[in-house]
Amino acid sequence: MHPLLSMLARHGYALTFLLLLAESIGFPFPAAIALVACGAGVASHTLSGPGVLLTAVVGLILGDIIQFWLGRYAGWALLGFLCRLSLNPETCILRSAESFYKRGKVTLIVAKFIPGVNTMAAPLAGSMKMRFAQFLRLDVAGASLYCTTYLTVGYLSRDFLAATLDSMHAASRVMESIITVALLIYAIYRLAQFLKYRRYNIVPRVQVQQLAARLASNDAASVQIVDVRSHGYYDVGAERIKGSIRIEPNNLEEEIKNLPKDKDIYLYCT
Amino acid sequence: MAHLLREKGFKAFVIVGGLTAWRKAGEPLESVPKNDLVKLPTFS
Repeated sequence: MHPLLSMLARHGYALTFLLLLAESIGFPFPAAIALVACGAGVASHTLSGPGVLLTAVVGLILGDIIQFWLGRYAGWALLGFLCRLSLNPETCILRSAESFYKRGKVTLIVAKFIPGVNTMAAPLAGSMKMRFAQFLRLDVAGASLYCTTYLTVGYLSRDFLAATLDSMHAASRVMESIITVALLIYAIYRLAQFLKYRRYNIVPRVQVQQLAARLASNDAASVQIVDVRSHGYYDVGAERIKGSIRIEPNNLEEEIKNLPKDKDIYLYCT
Repeated sequence: MAHLLREKGFKAFVIVGGLTAWRKAGEPLESVPKNDLVKLPTFS
């Protein structure tokens, strides 16, 4: 038996549950790939189709329920944190919110297919006060669709997957070289990004104590503190630095028309 | 954002540590005025 299928036969249900739960909580694990592998396992009779489907759906729903209630009570603080865990932290919260605003509740059914949105959908639903029963119905539908789709892909492409895995095993040295080159290219890319954006480090930074001292002096009138948080203004009870104003970071061209050019602008976020 | 503002002629600076550092230093805060709150749409 192929080593992967052997592993699936021994630990498939537990692995599936844990991977799907981890993905729904927000970890960037390739749950779809795991489902495809499980589908191949079902085709090889090493796993039970209904069993692995049920395990996968339960794992997804459990994670989504946790996220829903955390979103209900932790609000945008949680959403901002989740974005740090996703593979695309800079776009996930904006894309998820946009998707929800435009398409509404039906987003939950297809959210799991959309990278970025999949992690944010459940806590967004909680933050936006969706009724839990309604959320659960839509989430079960979405989780079932997601798991069924990828299990089916794995089931139908079992022979192709087995051939691919055998080829990869046979070409292991070539694969090691390819992976090494890929990692090297990625490292060079990251270095190039670092050098490109290093210029942003020339923006002067001030310590809290320096600014506080300036505010306490006669020079306070020439200071304007600006809040540039994208989400800090959604929670009742939110706080900001006393005397600061907010500008919408996604609408900078319009917002800067209201900023004083004769004052020093001090920016802050969370 | 500070870099963009400087490119547009503003004298922009960044507060190290942001709101967290300000709060930790015990400097004055205020509640966001109700008029400034951005409310999420709700499914009700």
